[in-house]
Amino acid sequence: MIHIENLVKRYGDLVALNHLSLDIKEGEIFGLLGPNGSGKTTAINCLLSLLKYDKGDIEIFGQKMTPDNYEVKQQIGIVLQNVAVFDELTVSENIDYFCGLYIHDKNRRKELVEEAIRFVGLEDYRKTRPQKLSGGLLRRLNIACGIAHKPRLIILDEPTVAVDPQSRNKILEGIQELNRQGSTIIYTSHYMEEVEQICTRIAIMDHGRVIASGTTEELKKMIKTGETITVEALLLTEKQLQDIRNLPHVFDVHYEDQILTLRCTGAQHNLIRILNYLQSQNLTFGRVFSELPTLNDVFLEITGKQLRD
Amino acid sequence: MTVFKGYLKILKKNLGMLLIYLVIFFAIAIALQASARKEHLGTFEKTRINVAVADRDQSELSRGLIRYLSTIHNVSEISSEPSVMQEELFYRNTSYIVQIPENFYQTCIEEEEPLSVTKVPGSYTSFYVDQQISTWINSIRTYTAAGFSLKEAMDASMELPASEVTMYKGTENNLETPPYIYYFRYVPYLFLAVLSYSMGYVLLAFQKEDILKRMRASAVSLRRQNMEGLLAMFMLGAVLWLISVAGVCVLFGKEFLTSPLIGYYVLNTALMLGIALSLSYLVGIFVKNSNMLNGISNLLSLGMCFLCGTFVPMSIMNKSVLKIAQFLPVYWYESINETLAQYKTLPVPVAEEIWKSMGIEAMFIAAFVFMILAISKYKQQS
Repeated sequence: MIHIENLVKRYGDLVALNHLSLDIKEGEIFGLLGPNGSGKTTAINCLLSLLKYDKGDIEIFGQKMTPDNYEVKQQIGIVLQNVAVFDELTVSENIDYFCGLYIHDKNRRKELVEEAIRFVGLEDYRKTRPQKLSGGLLRRLNIACGIAHKPRLIILDEPTVAVDPQSRNKILEGIQELNRQGSTIIYTSHYMEEVEQICTRIAIMDHGRVIASGTTEELKKMIKTGETITVEALLLTEKQLQDIRNLPHVFDVHYEDQILTLRCTGAQHNLIRILNYLQSQNLTFGRVFSELPTLNDVFLEITGKQLRD
Repeated sequence: MTVFKGYLKILKKNLGMLLIYLVIFFAIAIALQASARKEHLGTFEKTRINVAVADRDQSELSRGLIRYLSTIHNVSEISSEPSVMQEELFYRNTSYIVQIPENFYQTCIEEEEPLSVTKVPGSYTSFYVDQQISTWINSIRTYTAAGFSLKEAMDASMELPASEVTMYKGTENNLETPPYIYYFRYVPYLFLAVLSYSMGYVLLAFQKEDILKRMRASAVSLRRQNMEGLLAMFMLGAVLWLISVAGVCVLFGKEFLTSPLIGYYVLNTALMLGIALSLSYLVGIFVKNSNMLNGISNLLSLGMCFLCGTFVPMSIMNKSVLKIAQFLPVYWYESINETLAQYKTLPVPVAEEIWKSMGIEAMFIAAFVFMILAISKYKQQS
């Protein structure tokens, strides 16, 4: 459905997109994950022909995407990172205006606007102006303006930034519902939990290129880390630390502020082995955590830095 | 026509402000019209002054003089006591006191002694009364010398012809200033204030970066979006122009509609509208927030109108200010109005001057449009 090949975009000396290539299939919720400045928004802007790019090709629905390919644009809905609505118009007027950029039949538009209002749960705010809406409701209005015309492809660029948890859940559920109704979704975010929760396939971006892509499980399998164990321990000597490093399946040990963090390859009984060792050394310990790898671990292992750096 | 309707919807939210400007404009126009008419009448009104007469003679002749003066002024009789006369003058109950002596005929007609009068110092109207009394006495003297009886002389003197005043005009076509000239003088303020505010208000909404992005990603072409936006602006301008032309027709009716120069006034106003539209759009591109919009809108409308003779007639403005004002479009609009006000029909050289000024107005419009296109293109590319 979407084919991006070798996309290069430069801002002077800065390379924002470095030979980016992507393929997105119809019916997917495709997550574009990366830290701030990794090139997610630039990729979206190029995809929508809002930005000229230096090199590469973009095809959407089998057609080359150009600024005047209105047949393709007709089937795309966008929800931008910042709320893009008119402060002077009411909720209903805003949705009607943006829907009117795609749907010219007045009666059909009326139905779609009503449907979008119901979908985002703004029934009680039809005549309310955006300034009087809370942050979460405003985000919902922003989404309604982008999806009212029932597009085949919906691009959501960090739609949950600065949104309270309740509204965030409502928005994420809405996105999954849109996908069930037949829309393909491209979802950019730097919140790995969101991407992990809703996306069927994920591409991790850094420095303007895709460094890994696949389903969540596929991505997790790509890395060495199978389990991360954290132990609150008191006063470990260098010899004891070396013993721990020598335990089977342990490949990384970190000890700081009396907190011991071990990364182990995927295997059984890792936790039991470390606890046995601590007992054998008569070492007292507090809380113990064992976590399976997250996308943050994937990102950390691939790039050597935290996702939110 | 979604974009067009969107512009109109946002303009509609601003309707209150537009109405306030229109009400203020028409209130000023009506007040100026009323004041202009009043001033016009006052300039040529024949005035009567208060004249007091202390008649010591109480003769037929002295009563004749009182009767004659009564036809021209408000005459009252007072005592010949000096203190009474001083008091009347001090309190300005009277402006001129005539003391008719005993033996009035003998003293003033035969022996030609002047009448004793007391008047408010420096009063120019007293000179007229001096002349009127002198003319009457000379007339009586002439009639009696010719053999007429005193009664016949007094009757004839009552019908003395009034002096005629002939007004000389500067040029053959120079007429009274038409009252609607004040209305047209204020039109630039209405256009600039309303358009710079309302267009800035709409552009402020549509020029937001994220709104622009959303619209550019939509299925309506950028060209069509621009055309629909411009159409909405032109419609606002056209409505404003129609209101202003309808306003002058309603307020001044036949006086304006029968003027042979009506076409020039209307065309000049249309050009002024073009200037206000293009300039307001140009300024609107740079507006970042509503506070800035208020400031720029006031600066543009009030500043330009003060400098270019909208609020103060050009004839009393400083020459160096007028030289600077020539770089502003409103100056040319106002100079055309000032010229039109002096003529009932235009001699060819004057008409040529007016067409030249209109050409300069058109060039201002072209320059503003060119700047809008250049800046818009630059903004799009960046």
